[in-house]
Amino acid sequence: MSARYGMVIDLDRCTGCGSCMMACAAENNVPPLPQATARTGLTPLLVRKISNKKEGAARREAFIPIMCMHCEHETPCVRVCPQQAVEVDRATGIVMQMPQRCLGCRYCMTACPYHARYFNWWDPAWPAGMEKSLNPGVAVRMRGVVEKCNLCHARYHSAKEKAAAAGRREIDLADYVPACVEACPTSAIRFGNLADKNDPVYREANSPDAFRLLARLGTEPKVYFKSKEAWVKALAEPTFTGKTEVKHG
Amino acid sequence: MKFTRRDLLIWSAGAAAGLVVSPVPWKLLDDTSIWSQNWPWIPQPVHAPIEVKQTLCALCPKSCGLKVRMAAGWPVGIAGSSTHPVSAGALCPLAFAAHQLNWHPQRLRVVKRKGNASSWNEARAAFSKAAGEGPILIIDGFPGRSASSVLEQFAQKKRGTYRVTFVPETRALVPYETWTGAAAQALTYDLQNAQTVVSFGAPLLDGWGIPGNFTRAWSERAAGIADPQLRLIQIEPSLSRTAAKAWQWLPIRAESDAALAAGLARVLLEERLVAAHGPMPTLSLADASYQTGLPADSIRDLARAIVARTPAVAIAPDYSPAIAALNVVLGAVGSRGGILARSKNAQPQAPAEQVISSARAVLIDATVPWDFTPQTDAEIFRFAAWNPGQTNADWLLPAPGFLEDLTDFPTAPTSPIETYAVAPALLKPTVEVHSAAEFLCGLDPELTRVEKLIHSHCAELFRARTGSLCGQQAALVPSFASVQKFEEQLWQGAVWAGDPPKPKVLRCTLKEWPNSPPQTPADDWLSSWGLPVQPPLASKLYQESGLRESVERRMA
Amino acid sequence: MASAALADRSWIARGEERASLPRFLLWLAPWTLLLALGVYAAGLCLYHGLNQTNMDNRFAFGLWIYLDLSIIALGAGAFFTGFLVYILKRAELKPILNTAVVVGLICYSGAVAILMVDVGQPLRAWFTFWHPNTHSMLTEVTFCISCYLLVLCLEYIPLLLRNRQLRKLPSFLVFEHQLHKLVPVLAGVGTFLSFFHQGSLGGLYGVLRGRPFAFRQGFFIWPSTFFLFILSAIATGPSFLMLIAAAAEKVSGRQLVPADLPRRLGFISGVLLGIYVAAKCVDTLIWLNVTSPAEGFAPWEFYTYKPFGTYLLFAEIVLFGLLPAFLLTFRKTAGRRGILLTAAAMACGGVLLNRFVLTVQTLALPTLPFDQFLQYTPSWQELASFGGVLAYGVILYSLSYRYLPLFAPLKGGDTHVSGN
Repeated sequence: MSARYGMVIDLDRCTGCGSCMMACAAENNVPPLPQATARTGLTPLLVRKISNKKEGAARREAFIPIMCMHCEHETPCVRVCPQQAVEVDRATGIVMQMPQRCLGCRYCMTACPYHARYFNWWDPAWPAGMEKSLNPGVAVRMRGVVEKCNLCHARYHSAKEKAAAAGRREIDLADYVPACVEACPTSAIRFGNLADKNDPVYREANSPDAFRLLARLGTEPKVYFKSKEAWVKALAEPTFTGKTEVKHG
Repeated sequence: MKFTRRDLLIWSAGAAAGLVVSPVPWKLLDDTSIWSQNWPWIPQPVHAPIEVKQTLCALCPKSCGLKVRMAAGWPVGIAGSSTHPVSAGALCPLAFAAHQLNWHPQRLRVVKRKGNASSWNEARAAFSKAAGEGPILIIDGFPGRSASSVLEQFAQKKRGTYRVTFVPETRALVPYETWTGAAAQALTYDLQNAQTVVSFGAPLLDGWGIPGNFTRAWSERAAGIADPQLRLIQIEPSLSRTAAKAWQWLPIRAESDAALAAGLARVLLEERLVAAHGPMPTLSLADASYQTGLPADSIRDLARAIVARTPAVAIAPDYSPAIAALNVVLGAVGSRGGILARSKNAQPQAPAEQVISSARAVLIDATVPWDFTPQTDAEIFRFAAWNPGQTNADWLLPAPGFLEDLTDFPTAPTSPIETYAVAPALLKPTVEVHSAAEFLCGLDPELTRVEKLIHSHCAELFRARTGSLCGQQAALVPSFASVQKFEEQLWQGAVWAGDPPKPKVLRCTLKEWPNSPPQTPADDWLSSWGLPVQPPLASKLYQESGLRESVERRMA
Repeated sequence: MASAALADRSWIARGEERASLPRFLLWLAPWTLLLALGVYAAGLCLYHGLNQTNMDNRFAFGLWIYLDLSIIALGAGAFFTGFLVYILKRAELKPILNTAVVVGLICYSGAVAILMVDVGQPLRAWFTFWHPNTHSMLTEVTFCISCYLLVLCLEYIPLLLRNRQLRKLPSFLVFEHQLHKLVPVLAGVGTFLSFFHQGSLGGLYGVLRGRPFAFRQGFFIWPSTFFLFILSAIATGPSFLMLIAAAAEKVSGRQLVPADLPRRLGFISGVLLGIYVAAKCVDTLIWLNVTSPAEGFAPWEFYTYKPFGTYLLFAEIVLFGLLPAFLLTFRKTAGRRGILLTAAAMACGGVLLNRFVLTVQTLALPTLPFDQFLQYTPSWQELASFGGVLAYGVILYSLSYRYLPLFAPLKGGDTHVSGN
């Protein structure tokens, strides 16, 4: 039976420390870009600060990690890529990006409603010798291609090899822990198989406090968020109504 | 037969048609896809099997447990070690890229004398000469290690002085030294049993204490819960990360912590909300209200809220006698859920001063935070693995980098239990480096070397037969058949954990409300990152995203 | 110099009057400089990467895509005129046909050149042909634009071969003659291809569920923007050709096309523009009341983000849509050359505005509730690259005008127009 790997992120637990971002960047051989800005940076996992838009003592803030939502239905990026450089992996449900086939047209980046895709505006470069610290499981991408979170597919691959060595077809989920999940100090990010009804992530995803971003668009993302705060849950759908405040990016 | 232009055309057309049905153009097309996959100058990782090693992080005194993935002898990935009894798999954010630090462009590779390249021999000669000419001062940033003993021994032999720098969490416990007689580094907070934690701007969820310690307890007992078992009250002027997640955030005027502590103590004592009868602060409630910007009623409400769920404890981000006195009034000193002594025997240590007047030479260990810059005329010998450029040190001496040195780990500040661990060097440095302890042992062969000290410490622990060893499985110390087996586990990354401390070992006497020095503003977790540089991937947090505001501190 | 002028003269058709060689070179000089600057800027982008532009992860499409969509819309006059002349047999538009082909070639080859710089990995451009994705509008665009560029080249070759010197080669003459027979077929093929890629360019944005400002319902797999783009392209193509012919007449100082041709082109443009405006109004109403609210977005909120207010919608539909449609068709206004040309320019402006709204405004607007409105200003490399394309167009057109029979001689001899 094929798996549908997904996540539930408890926004009440996320403290915005950024450990997940660092672990993700290190695991995926993302180059440090000292010349980049917040709009040209390469952050396959990006923690964003959200607020209830009030000021003073009534202000509340929270943090929300944003990565590829691994949409299941009419996946926007898969549908628009002109050369099928991205596809939904049938065995895992992971939306797999092939940087080696990517033309760099960036159409997928305009299509993604979550802005979860990042372009390599520069060639990757590390200080001399630092290449020795690159993670062996993950190929380094060159400039001009798009990349995004792939749920640490290299770790899935290792789990599969381990299972094969032990003569099993199915992996042991304890062997497949994405870097961000491993790094989170409050266990805010939980990972599991949404196709398995016994998986705790499945139960959490179906709990009343769980929601998905922009669910009305119908892309069926597999990353769920969870919060008991009403103002956080309200961010699931745009609440533009009545908000005429002008913001410039 | 003449070969005409027409023949040429026909032959060319035929050749073109023939080529199309041959594999040649299609293979060439395929090949361009391979050639364009990656240019030759794009670095690729090595292909080697992964080995996972358990160890600990020596970049700061918090000593988090680490799981290092190694390939071809180099570290290629860092994660927290879930078997560590205190950090339990958590790390500070920058630790995940710590394996990049040894190749940081600002790595110190040669001895520098006032900016010019020098040599170890010259440095030794200069230091020996200085030590012979006058008193020396040795500053240690990570006291309690075996290397610290070496530094202290050398200082004693030369009739010099040995001083330490404390992390802010330890400085917050210094006021209790005079009131209890216990050393600050022997004290800790019993946060596992506290029900109300009042933080005066201490970044409890953003780098205070040992990663994973409080944050895990908070995430289990308080996150997302309307009426939590652990109430975190965060008192600070602006909405920090900790304040955003706290049960209650109370904004007060900047630098008015001492006034609020005094006001709270007054209310607690006057309304008999606590068992204690003193000491009564001299500040009136009206004055406290004026200084903090809070109405008197708010201060009263806060006092009542604090004791609504006990045990309650107040945490200061740095040295604050007023907040410490508040803990005395709350009855938190020496009580469950409050401030406890982990061990009885530790001696208080003297902190290093910024202004140094009577030394001939100052030796600064690599563990001293980089922004500790002494004001002195003495000749400064500073050990560091990285050199960002701005320093007043006369000598910069290359110290071992990340995972490059054998070291041991005493109990970390704010740890709820006593711990001990050992981390052998996992990497060979590519340049000549020496730790300060090694340097001094080279000058004085009679000093006991670090490795020997570690062996004897392990033997001592084994003989004491208390506590347990937390490795792949936890095992009580008495269960080990021999000291060799015990020590082997330690060298492979297991952590010795002592038994939880008992309350009531601590007695506190405070007669008068203390005076308060001017307040230093609380940093976020970066206050623990004492290194001169950050790993290059830190740009993800500060520059390539808007997650953290850039700090004025020197950055990679 | 005299021998150069003589050699140059031998390439110009007999009996045709053209500016002297030094004067022509003087005309070309600034455009050549601009082209050189453009090539340099594009070279920088190819060598250093796209960090030379001001595009970023949120503005993944920038000035280049906007201008590509715009010049392809303006270059629609090529296929549409061919369609009108060869399929609908409207012979009175023949005089503008060669210009249409050259303008089409310039627009499409320029767009393709810019696209080669815009993609991160130009060497992989053939992947779209090798691994096409049938769901993607961009695959369709790539195929059709490539094929149509080929068609335009094939349509240009006969023109090229009619050069005074080149037609001396008998094989070229024969080849040109044979190719000429193919032209109606090419026109048909070109129409078919253009229909699809003009539409798919609109479809590029219309299918984006994640961008509710651009997303539209439609017919089967094609969103309404597919049809609106085709309509707007064929509405403005003739206007653009009219403007090009007028510019050529001004620069050369001679009348090049029959006096009634601009009016005819304007009339065609105006009628189609009117139909387009009507369709656009219907589409906008559906978007405002049905599509956008269904996705959870109150569409009027999009217009609260300054400087993109509702005046843009008004400008696009009324000021640069309905008004020029009226001016171009109404006899009184269309009869006056000044108004006619202004109206044509306004029609072209309308299409530029429409493409801008769909490319730039779409990306500027937030999608997630905690997003912000974003700003983007192109870098000099982006502007210069496009300036290079513009220069290339002027140079190619100038060379085509000088050495090729772009315009048939008018009945009743040349009429000099005061000017250059």
